[in-house]
Amino acid sequence: MRTKPLVALVAIAGLALGVAACGGDDKGGGTGTTKTFEAGTTMERLNKAQKITVGTKFDQPGFGLKNLSGKPEGFDVEIAKIIATELGIPADKIEWKETPSAIREQVIQNGDVDIVAATYTINEPRKQKIDFAGPYYVAGQHIMVRNDDSSITGPDSFKDGTKKVCSVTNSTPANNIKKYLKDEATQLVLFDIYQKCVTALEGKQVDAVTTDNVILTGFIANNAGKFKLAGTKFTDEPYGIGLKKGDDKFREFINKTLETIFGDGRYEKAWRDTAGKFDPNLPAPPSVNRY
Amino acid sequence: MTDGVTQASGDHLIVFDQVNKWFGNLHVLRDVGLRVRRGEVVVVIGPSGGGKSTLCRVVNRLEPINSGTIWFDGRRLPEEGRQLARLRSEVGMVFQSFNLFAHKTILENVTLGPVKVRRERPATARDRAMSLLDRVGITDQANKYPAQLSGGQQQRAAIARALAMQPKAMLFDEPTSALDPEMVGEVLDVMTTLARDGMTMVVVTHEMGFARHAANRVVFMADGQLVEEAPPAEFFGNPRSDRAKDFLSKILTH
Amino acid sequence: MNVLVDNFDVFAGGFWVTLQVCLLSTAGALLLGTGAAVLRISPIPPLRWMGTAYVTVIRNAPLTVIFFFVAFGLPALGSNAAFLDIPGLNKVFSRLGIDLPYFRFAILALSVYTGAFVCEALRSGVNAVAAGQAEAARALGLTFTQNLRYVILPQAWKAAVVPLGTVLIAMIKNSALAGFFGLSGDLSQAAQDLAIVKALPVVPVFIGISIGFLVMTVPLGLLLDRVERRRAVAR
Repeated sequence: MRTKPLVALVAIAGLALGVAACGGDDKGGGTGTTKTFEAGTTMERLNKAQKITVGTKFDQPGFGLKNLSGKPEGFDVEIAKIIATELGIPADKIEWKETPSAIREQVIQNGDVDIVAATYTINEPRKQKIDFAGPYYVAGQHIMVRNDDSSITGPDSFKDGTKKVCSVTNSTPANNIKKYLKDEATQLVLFDIYQKCVTALEGKQVDAVTTDNVILTGFIANNAGKFKLAGTKFTDEPYGIGLKKGDDKFREFINKTLETIFGDGRYEKAWRDTAGKFDPNLPAPPSVNRY
Repeated sequence: MTDGVTQASGDHLIVFDQVNKWFGNLHVLRDVGLRVRRGEVVVVIGPSGGGKSTLCRVVNRLEPINSGTIWFDGRRLPEEGRQLARLRSEVGMVFQSFNLFAHKTILENVTLGPVKVRRERPATARDRAMSLLDRVGITDQANKYPAQLSGGQQQRAAIARALAMQPKAMLFDEPTSALDPEMVGEVLDVMTTLARDGMTMVVVTHEMGFARHAANRVVFMADGQLVEEAPPAEFFGNPRSDRAKDFLSKILTH
Repeated sequence: MNVLVDNFDVFAGGFWVTLQVCLLSTAGALLLGTGAAVLRISPIPPLRWMGTAYVTVIRNAPLTVIFFFVAFGLPALGSNAAFLDIPGLNKVFSRLGIDLPYFRFAILALSVYTGAFVCEALRSGVNAVAAGQAEAARALGLTFTQNLRYVILPQAWKAAVVPLGTVLIAMIKNSALAGFFGLSGDLSQAAQDLAIVKALPVVPVFIGISIGFLVMTVPLGLLLDRVERRRAVAR
């Protein structure tokens, strides 16, 4: 009986070592052998527990979308997996939680999740409640129109009150576009999912669909020749990793991890495997913001 | 006097010819033939379940018949529709359970038909309604709801409602059977007056007294058939059929 | 609770949109439901079948499916539900007349869906009216429509008040779905946007939404209680 805990510990250490070895030639984070972290830090606690709970979207193609076997896939998911790896935790030990936009701060504050990677735009009100590592990607809101329509050139085209635009209920893009509208009641259409906006655009009930560029390019790719982007992206949405406020050491650890993968090819691979299928242009890695 | 009237007018207001009616397997009217003259009062008696009520209800087609013909005022009964609605407006009907419109006052009950069916001016209908309510003795109840009246008052109101349409005939389907005994008289009084005034009436009842003094003719009905018909004195004094003798012996001993 | 006070204009604006949807849908549902109930009790078999088909199909389909067919099926058939742009009414409810059809679609979907339930509530009321009432009306010479209008429905309404209330309260709450089918600015949506844009805490926002709905449903419930009590007295 007495020997068993010891055996288990050795086994876990061995597993961690194996995973770290699989990580390959990484230079950051651990040293490539056993991962050891400063006592009392979140990194040590997670590493010891061999488990991390990650909040992500389950409905965001390219970033976090639940596949048929129930596991999320996407760019956010890959970034979270890399962070877990750097903590010495194998990908199959990650517990995924669905975190829709409205509840993200709350689940972090409650400690229901350890980190959130869920197309999570860094902004001031949110910083009051939680901390962000990153950004690791800068998305931007864009406008999609029918291929034969040249009357819309950017968000300012909505100011005269004649053009109608569609987005998703309770979303940041929907709220961003409001300030360009003359009359919300006659110009703004909201659905629960973007696919319905696309149907309405095709059926000419609306003249444009607006949301983050990544989502729009996905629709353009899937509906060859029907739609195009109008103008350039008109917002910067820096996506960050959300974590508990004040956990500076953990934040710095994630920031360092991100900086490492920006340069070692893992960032590029994560993109190509996921969102890059819709938008082959490799995004320029942003500079981490240590506010 | 009544006898003279029927003979003088000669023609028949209600005519049944070979009428048959089934409820499922139950043969409730068997080859019924009956002629009711203008101004005649026919009282239908007989054991329960013998088809008396049905006989009454087929006259204005509240129940459709399966075969045979019924004429009213020289015309065959029309199929469901406006024609039939018009015919019904010419035939007053009084039910066992009164069936006053529960959500309307007594006055509204009496004026509804004239105003909506006959398109009379509301004031005209109202005046006649009040005189009818006076005739049945319930003017002071005009603005009450049916539930606030006694059974006898309700049935008198129902008679007034039927009369308001100025019908050519009145059908009474056991009008006193749901009443407390002390109220039977007031309703029969109204009916007797009506009979005396020359209204053509078909009355299904168990009130032998009414049959004796108000009827021109008594029709005895059992098992869906008209077994016997005769003037009341003859019927009650000397019934011919065994069924009628049996029936009368049972009810008259009490 | 500062969240509610500071953003009162947002809640009030959303409340007004939702209230308009509910008022118009109530009118639509009562009209459709009464019509369907009349069909279902009519003496003409094909009309009865039509009424039964409507109730059977609509009552057994999920509301989202009805919304979907209205919001995407009608445009595919070339209709923007412009028939709901009723002159006069569109002065009070200005969204009826705008180019975007989704306000009209929301009202149509809610009316069609709720109408099936109204029909059944009314029919239960009609069944509660004693058979002798209709018989007496027929004996007077009233036509089928007159019978319904002057005798049966006035009494059926009273017997149907309680189930109708339940149906309408459910409809008010169902209206929250309209925000996911094109309608912008209704109560649940306008308020939830606060949590997204201003990162306000979610719980007070939802408390605010609940209050908005209670302001509509509680008075309706009280009104129905009153009607029911008055009916009890009249009997």
